[in-house]
Amino acid sequence: MQMTTRAAIPAFRSPGARRLWLGLLFVSPWIIGFCGFYLYPFFATLYYSFTSFTGIGNPTFTGLANFDALIHDATFRTALFNTFYYTVIEVPFSTIGALGLAMLLNMNVRGQAFYRTLFYIPSIVPVVASSLIFVWIFQPSFGVVNALLADVHINGPAWFFSITWSKPTFILLGLWGMGQPMVIYLAALQGVPKEMYEVAALEGAGPWQRLRYVTLPMISPIILFNVILSLVLSIQYFTQAQVIETPPGSPGNSTMFYVTYYYQQAFQYLHLGYASAMAFLLFVLVLIVTVVLLKTSSRWVYYENEER
Amino acid sequence: MRSAPPQPAISVPPAPPTPSAPGWRGSLRKRLRKLGSSASKHLVLIVLSCVFGLPLIWMISTSFKTAGQALQLPVVWWPHPFLWSNYPQLFAALPIWRFFLNTFVYAAVTIVGVLISSSLVAYGFSRLKWPGRDALFYVMLMTMILPFICTLIPLFVMYKRFGWIGGYLPLEVPTFFGSSVFSTFLLRQFFMTIPQSLSEAARIDGASEFFIYSRIILPLAKPAMATVILFQFIYCWNDYLGPLIYISNQNSYPLSLGLDLILGDYTTNWAWVMAGATAATAPIVILFFLTQRTFIQGIALTGTKG
Repeated sequence: MQMTTRAAIPAFRSPGARRLWLGLLFVSPWIIGFCGFYLYPFFATLYYSFTSFTGIGNPTFTGLANFDALIHDATFRTALFNTFYYTVIEVPFSTIGALGLAMLLNMNVRGQAFYRTLFYIPSIVPVVASSLIFVWIFQPSFGVVNALLADVHINGPAWFFSITWSKPTFILLGLWGMGQPMVIYLAALQGVPKEMYEVAALEGAGPWQRLRYVTLPMISPIILFNVILSLVLSIQYFTQAQVIETPPGSPGNSTMFYVTYYYQQAFQYLHLGYASAMAFLLFVLVLIVTVVLLKTSSRWVYYENEER
Repeated sequence: MRSAPPQPAISVPPAPPTPSAPGWRGSLRKRLRKLGSSASKHLVLIVLSCVFGLPLIWMISTSFKTAGQALQLPVVWWPHPFLWSNYPQLFAALPIWRFFLNTFVYAAVTIVGVLISSSLVAYGFSRLKWPGRDALFYVMLMTMILPFICTLIPLFVMYKRFGWIGGYLPLEVPTFFGSSVFSTFLLRQFFMTIPQSLSEAARIDGASEFFIYSRIILPLAKPAMATVILFQFIYCWNDYLGPLIYISNQNSYPLSLGLDLILGDYTTNWAWVMAGATAATAPIVILFFLTQRTFIQGIALTGTKG
């Protein structure tokens, strides 16, 4: 019965078409989700960015007014700068730090599992909890960090509550979670065939050369993947700053990150059109960063089966 | 923590035994050098362990102090008296159990959603060959880099129209539609390691594709499914942003938002704040210790074949 109905539909006659339908059937949950939760809202955001919209009633078309206002918005520029500051320092430090830690642990050190666990745990501490912990240890007058600094006669700054130190303190909070990429790099390092090192050693390669010509090329695809993900995530930095700073963005807008400002515009002032314009610009930014990384990656990323 | 771990690390790989050690003097020197390098490695590791461990130790220590002792200078490392009562007091002052329960329900529902949809989608992206498959797969991966704010406002407007704002539906429903790209990716990587011959044999026997998916592939993929469950649970436990946007009623708060309340309400009592942080952290760390192998396998799966 089933066979006859299927044969009646021409699309099912050829095996190729049948395979296509079957594949689409299996991925259909994602296709529906993609259209409903990504594609439609993305284009709606693009549309809203050309309008004035408060969430009530219909958006009114205002052309490029939002983008024009953004260019002249000093707080927007501060937010862009703060996010840039955080990203440009946190991502390289955590990447190099995580790589270094992974290499250190990959050298048959005794207690490798212990250290790995210890470095990894901070990255699974719930983000609100880790934010609270850092507010406490960096508390200006009673925090343990400033107490320890006082022991060596250093007058510690106000950390999260200082205009100059607030962003570096957030970076330290971010670096505390470098165990996450570390574990990934460690798994990658353990996947590098031992024979390659043996051959390199026979050829007379020193430790630096082995690092430069064996280790780094072999794990470069994973480095690329991780760097892209952590860049994209830190460009959207928000949660920790939202938890720690009251009002968000303080002191003196020094922790006003891009998404912090977006959130304020969208959910506090209901400037939905304006916020949408910000969202769209962020998309363009992320796209540029990703494309540049992917394009230049052919120079430093090595793919094993690239003979094609 | 301030700077990248020092480089000497790299200068001492597990050197293959070189047969050219000239006599005992040379071998002694070599041994001393080996001892020295291993000592310096451990020195670096121990210092870093202190730096990474300090915040957690300080959190736990503070949570057992009196409000006054938490502020005492010079710092008190070991609470004296050792006060347990911060925990029951905090749990009485705020509906922490309620927050736990809300978090568990949120996690449970999304785990079901992710397991069903991500496994189906991953199957379609790995076990079947069809035109356009890989292109569509890349589109899916690309959604990972789309900033969440690029879809937020229209989604919010849409959910408002559905009457979903205030509850967990905006966070739960998408997981039934493959929104967890990470899980789908992980499952796909795992499915690809299962030999195709298994599916082919079943097809020759006349098994339908859904039968192969549910009776052959899924049972084999149990370890990967366990990893997905674990990561999804941790994701929900951690999630602050989603609830912040959609949950408004304090009774519906998950743990993350509840913790945030402690900071707002009890900044004067750091022992309570740290008790809250410990209560939120301990379950996840215990879970990690109980499931370490699943964890590491999962990370290796996404990491090494990236």
